[in-house]
Amino acid sequence: MTCRGPRRPAPLGIRTALRKYSTAALVSLRNRLAYPAAFAGSLLTYGLFVFVFSRIWASIYSGRGDIAGYDRAGMVWYFIVAEISVFGFGHFYSTLSEDIKSGQVAYLLARPYGFTAYHFSQTMGNTLGDCLVLAAEGVLLGRLLGGPVPVTSLVQGAALVLSILLAGCLQFFLQFAIAMTAFWLEENAAVYWIYQKLALVIGTFLPLEFLPPAAAAAARWTPFPYLSWAPARIAVAWEPREALGLLAAQAAWTAAAALLCRGVFAAGRGKITVNGG
Amino acid sequence: MSVIAVEGLSKTFRTRVRGTGLAAALRSLARPEWRTVPAVREVSFSVEPGEVVAFLGPNGAGKSTTIKMLTGILTPTSGTARVLGLDPARDRTRLALEIGAVFGQKSQLWFHLPPSESFRLLGAIYEVPPAELERRRSDLVERFGIGPYMDVPVRKLSLGERIRCEIAASLLHAPKVLFLDEPTIGLDVVVKREIRALLSELRSRDGVTIFLTSHDIGDIEKICKRAIIIHHGAVVVDESMKTLKHRALARKYIGVKYAAPANLELPGLSPVKRTEDAGSFVVDTRRHNLQDVIRALVDRGEVLDLTVEDEPLEDIIAEVFQGRSAEEARGAAWAGGEAES
Repeated sequence: MTCRGPRRPAPLGIRTALRKYSTAALVSLRNRLAYPAAFAGSLLTYGLFVFVFSRIWASIYSGRGDIAGYDRAGMVWYFIVAEISVFGFGHFYSTLSEDIKSGQVAYLLARPYGFTAYHFSQTMGNTLGDCLVLAAEGVLLGRLLGGPVPVTSLVQGAALVLSILLAGCLQFFLQFAIAMTAFWLEENAAVYWIYQKLALVIGTFLPLEFLPPAAAAAARWTPFPYLSWAPARIAVAWEPREALGLLAAQAAWTAAAALLCRGVFAAGRGKITVNGG
Repeated sequence: MSVIAVEGLSKTFRTRVRGTGLAAALRSLARPEWRTVPAVREVSFSVEPGEVVAFLGPNGAGKSTTIKMLTGILTPTSGTARVLGLDPARDRTRLALEIGAVFGQKSQLWFHLPPSESFRLLGAIYEVPPAELERRRSDLVERFGIGPYMDVPVRKLSLGERIRCEIAASLLHAPKVLFLDEPTIGLDVVVKREIRALLSELRSRDGVTIFLTSHDIGDIEKICKRAIIIHHGAVVVDESMKTLKHRALARKYIGVKYAAPANLELPGLSPVKRTEDAGSFVVDTRRHNLQDVIRALVDRGEVLDLTVEDEPLEDIIAEVFQGRSAEEARGAAWAGGEAES
């Protein structure tokens, strides 16, 4: 018997790549749906956060019309939308980071796929279900605790959905890049902790407009406002020209973060060590 | 063309040296110390199409590191490796389409989903066209007898059922080479036998080249035609199973059982195990005539049972490891002595 060379050429057709990554996303979604009860935890926590913050805003706003351009109902809706991308897109950083530290990542590399693209599809498949469920809960809670839904047109709705998706993509690439630091740092939890706190303070708990002008201006040059502030702003302070700018900034930050991931992964890949044998 | 061609392949890992105590920890922060650990040293061998090769060695010998270099997971420090004519480190994705790998207890199936879902995903990942995937899937389901498990969540399958699904999954894209790292670990005797039969069939029917690491002597004896033994990162034995077993011919294991208590003391030969009416001997045929030993044992009383067996493969391999360790220890002592003088 003679040995022939590989039977398939290297370049991936678009259809093949689409089939590969869409199947990864679908299987991941199906895996998430295997335990509907698993949604209960995030539904409960999200609901509790929204309720507590709606009470806090009610107390802060008592006797005031608006603060920095947001009224009380607007702030409740702001928090509901901002938290969707935080809760919905999850914290997959820890799983990937542990895989790198334990050397398990080596097994994931023995497959014919783009490592980042595969993880992206898997994470999106896994989290989109969460986002939809949280959005439904958010609308219900918003009607009860805030007031009428602030999204009034189809264009605004489409821009909001796009903005939430871009926030999810940005969230993925930033978490992926942080997880990759495990190739160099033996303990990278502190890096993620700082990232998480900055993301919460800059745009999730408080709109940028609440920050001192200098801090808000500086924050706009970081990716953090585009994780939650941008979609929340599109939801509660709709202005088409501003929304377009926000979407463009989100897309630019997502592209930059994707490039960063690519570089960090390429540099880190050579540092894989595997225990055992 | 060889399916696998390895020339002077080496891999060293750099690990940080950590002292004990706070002072050492602070020192390590300011001036970290590194140690270079050679995991694989100048390994060379080749594997021809359709061969079934056992890649053996004690824990930490460098088996898995070598397999990981051959599958493109790890980049060699020096030397070259070619699998199906490709450089695994440079052409990892292309190579992955042509090879299959089962890494011991590392599952490639989704734990909460039935195997059918994982098969669908793996078919897409390995770019198997849908119609061909369906055909391959049906064939493997039948051959591996996994039909009843295909729609049961993996977490509900027994280990044996899961491993059968794992191996079937690794064959969906019809790989030319199959790397198996401890495929029968933790399985019971019956399932092990089934898996071995399936692997043997893969070789004979499909001509798949199999590269297997295992600590299970049964796997090696039943499936493999050739053994490469690696120790402390270097190849110490590379020969056919027949030649390896031939080493056993020098030693025979004799067991004898008498109808009544008997004297088992033979000149120059003591039993390795004995009771009043039974005993067993290890006879080195280079020193003792086998016929004389059997005759002497038969003369000691009425024999109920007498067995003559080759030395178990397990003992031969253990002896290779121990012999190599002793040689290395002697070499180190000699080198130390030379250095001191």
